[in-house]
Parts: sequence; structure tokens; C-alpha cells
Amino acid sequence: MSLIWKQILIISSGAIFIFLIFYFLIILTPQPPVRDMVYARVALSLAAKNKADSYSRKQYKEAKGYYISALGKWQKENKRFLYSRDYSKVAKLAKLAAKAANQATISSQISYSNLKTSLKQKIDALNNMDRNIDEMFTSYPLTTETRNRISKGKMLLKEAEIIYNKGQYLEADNKITESEYLLTTSYENASGNLKNYFKSYPEWRNWVDKTIAISRDSGDYSIIVDKFSRKLIVYLEGTKKYEYSAELGKNWVGDKMVQGDKATPEGMYKIAGKFESNKTKYYKALLLDYPNDEDTANFKDAIKKGILPRSANIGGLIEIHGNGGKGIDWTEGCIALTDREMDSIFRIAKVGTPVTIVGSMQDLHHVMKR
Amino acid sequence: MKNKVLMGLAAIAMVAFLSSCGKVPQTEIDATNAAIAAAQAAEANVYVPAEFTALQDSMNAITAAVETQKSKLIKKFGPIKERLASTLTLANTVAANAATKKEEVKKEAETLLNDIKAVIEENGKLLLKAPRGKEGAAVIEQIKADMATINTSVVDAQGLYDKGAYMDALNKIKAAKEKADGINTELKEAIAKVKKR
Repeated sequence: MSLIWKQILIISSGAIFIFLIFYFLIILTPQPPVRDMVYARVALSLAAKNKADSYSRKQYKEAKGYYISALGKWQKENKRFLYSRDYSKVAKLAKLAAKAANQATISSQISYSNLKTSLKQKIDALNNMDRNIDEMFTSYPLTTETRNRISKGKMLLKEAEIIYNKGQYLEADNKITESEYLLTTSYENASGNLKNYFKSYPEWRNWVDKTIAISRDSGDYSIIVDKFSRKLIVYLEGTKKYEYSAELGKNWVGDKMVQGDKATPEGMYKIAGKFESNKTKYYKALLLDYPNDEDTANFKDAIKKGILPRSANIGGLIEIHGNGGKGIDWTEGCIALTDREMDSIFRIAKVGTPVTIVGSMQDLHHVMKR
Repeated sequence: MKNKVLMGLAAIAMVAFLSSCGKVPQTEIDATNAAIAAAQAAEANVYVPAEFTALQDSMNAITAAVETQKSKLIKKFGPIKERLASTLTLANTVAANAATKKEEVKKEAETLLNDIKAVIEENGKLLLKAPRGKEGAAVIEQIKADMATINTSVVDAQGLYDKGAYMDALNKIKAAKEKADGINTELKEAIAKVKKR
């Protein structure tokens, strides 16, 4: 064999040897769990897109923790000598991350959807309550604190709706919870107050029936004042003849207790005097016989029980008078009509005409339905 | 014998060469991470959350790709460098978009804050002229309570605005503005009704 052939053979053998070494070096290189890591990362990304970081926080945090650990372990292994690397733990952690991320996605989708539905229902229910409050208590003298709470509750509801429409349900939920508390407690408080007031309804109904019966039996006029609906109704021979809008004392809810309480009394009264324009500053006036015997007895009882001070005065001069039509409850406890309506009633009323003042002619169920 | 030794050394040298020929583009990684941090500082997560999430996804993929290359005998960081360059551009775009959106929200909040102050002032004047409504003083009391709540909301919104929380300020002021506009309409209608009579 010539020298050239010998050299060619040696070089070829060397090349094959190097190729084989190189081939085995590649074959023997430990393979990282790239697929597992990609799968875990995509699952985490999907979970984040499904807002799992907010709606399935615990599972998402767990998934992220596994992924970070897998990545950390991978980086650590990559620092070791190429052939002593072991990626089995990386693969295990990546699989756990993917599993937790998928669970977080499902859980988040359910929570998100449920929250969205329940918030919509709550918003609708609170808007209904808001309307009920407006309808029922617009003319009802609530305390300033209650009005402020209602107002704040409505504002929070509006803010919640704006945030809800942006898809920020967790933030909306917080505001709705606060709004719900304010509106519900205010509504319950006001309703409780109203229910308490309407405990007198059976008595009012009795007075109303009696007054209508008097009108029917006497064939004459009787007057009924319905405080809740702000109506003064004139009956003739037991039949409703006229109906006017009335204005009352500022604190019209409840019976009159004492002079200066700005409450319109409740009870069965009669007209005790008629005053023409020259004898009253309120155009014309029909004086009632307040306080009647029952008022006096109640007043004395209140003093005896210490509800009223001994120096208290029961008051008087409760009238049906003119100068009304202001649209507010402004009197000291009297019933105000417009001058034109006062003319009408002044013509038909006489001393002795029954005037019954009640909280409401309708029961609470009807009032609330209205 | 001498040849075999030489060949062995050559093989080891080749392995050493191949395994170290691709260098991790750390400078590019650091620059991209800094750009992402800048986007976050620009509140991209608040003003352009979807874009910011996509940006983070992109960087997470790159981090995994870097480790994939580091695990190989023959490393190839060229494509990763290209991805880093495009992610860096994306981060800058996201930061710019966040700043633009923030400015828009800021301006909207500013406009609404000015508008609502005018409506509140007008409502105060209208309230004096209000006929008190058929339902009486209670309506006025409720309107007064609502106006006080609106004022509180405006103060809160202004506070949020001053702190730079424009999105929160905007949400608050929008609700207050709707309420104030509602009162304005209610009062104007009530006054118009009385004038008709």
C-alpha cells in the first residue's frame, strides 16, 4: 500500500471516529422537557387570559409556583455538566403547573360566569329596590341619616354598574355589597317605621267607616283627610263627592303629641268654627275641635309616663285653611288647601261637620303595591 | 497511538467549542426586561391590560427558549435575538400605548370634573327655584342628600385624580356626573311644569 493510500485511510478512520464520537455525544445529551414546559406556559397564559389570577387566585398561584419552580430547576440543571443533567423533576413540575393552570382556567371561567350572572341579578334587584324607595318614601319624612345612606347606596350602585359594564366584576362586587347593605338597611328601617305607623290602620279604618256612615245616615257632608296620600275627601250621603290635594305639617307621620311638634293630629273631629278672610291669615279657615277627649287623655298619659315634660302644652288651633298649593308639607299641623278649593269646602262645611284625619285609608299592602 | 491521542483531543476540543459557541444574549434580555418594566411603570397593566399580558407571554416564551438552547449541545441564539428585538419593540409600543391611553383617561376625567362642577353649581341655583314638587319637602330633602353625596364623590374623585389614579377617578366621576345630570333634569322639569301652570 502506497503512503498516500495509507494516509487517506488514517484520515478517513479519524473522521469516522470523530463523527461517531460527535454522534454519540449528541445522542447521549439529556433532553429537557421542552414540550411539557411549552404546554405549562401556554396553559398558564390561557389561565391568565381567563382572569384566573383574579377569579381562581389560589389555583393560579399554585400553577405559577410550579412553573417558576420548573423553570428554576431547568436553569439549575443547565448549569451542570451536559451529561450529568437530570430534567425529570423539571418535567414533573411542568406537568403539575399545566394541570393546576388548566384547573384554574376552568374554575375561573365558572367563577367569572357565576359572578357575572349573580351581579347582574343583584344590580337589577337593587335598582328595583331603588325605585321602590323612590316610590314609597319620596313623600315620607325619613331621617337625614337614612336619606344620606340611601343616597350613598344609590351612588355606589351607579359606580358598580359602570365598573360592571367594563367587565371588572370583582371591583363591582365590592361596591354592590356596600350598596346592598346601605340600601337594604335603609329600606328595612324605613319599611319598619312605616309598618309600625300602619299598626294603627284598623283604628283608622274604623274611624273612616264611622265617618262615611255618619254622612250616609245624616244625608250630609263628612270630611276625611288621608295623610299618606295627601288627600282631603268630601263625602255626601256616604258617597265620595270631592277630592282635593292637601298639605300637612312637616312631621305628618304619627299623631300630634304636643304643641309645636308640627304634626297633623289623627282622630275623629268636628268643625268648631268658620273663619272668613278677615279672621285668618290663611285666606279662610275651618277650625277643628282638637284636642278631643281622646287626645287629652293620651296627652295626660304621655306626661304621666314621662314621655312628655310636665311643662308641655297639648296645643290647639288645628284648622283646614287656604294658602295651600305650595307642594310641600309646611303647616304647623293644619291641613292646607288651595284658596279655590278652600272656597268650595268653605261653602259646604258647617260647624259640626265631621272631619276625620287618618294616617291612611288603605292598608299597608295596598300602599306598598301602589 | 500518537494519532489516537490527537484525535481524542480534537474531539474534546470540538465538543468544548460547539457547546460554547452560542452565547446567551444577556444584554438583549436585560434590555427587553427593562423595557417591560418600563411598560409596567407606565401602568400598561391598568390601561392596556391585554397588550401587557401578550407582552409578558412573549417574554416568558423567550425565557423558555433560552433554556431550551442552553440544554443543547449545539446552541443557537440567533432566532432568540430576533425575538428579543421584536419583543423589545413591542414593549416600547405597549408603554407608548399605555401612556396615550392614560392621557386620554386623564383628559376625560379632567373634562368630567370640570363639567360636573358646573352642573353642581347649576343644581344649587335650580334648587332655590324648585317648586318643592307635589310630593313635598321630602323630595327636596332627598335631592339635598343626593347633592351632598355627589359633592363627596367629586372630592374623592379629585383626590384619586391628584394621586394619578385616573381610571378610578374616571369611574367615580362618571357615576357622580350621571346622578348630577339626573337631578338637573328633574329640577328643570319640575320648574318648567310650574311655569306652564
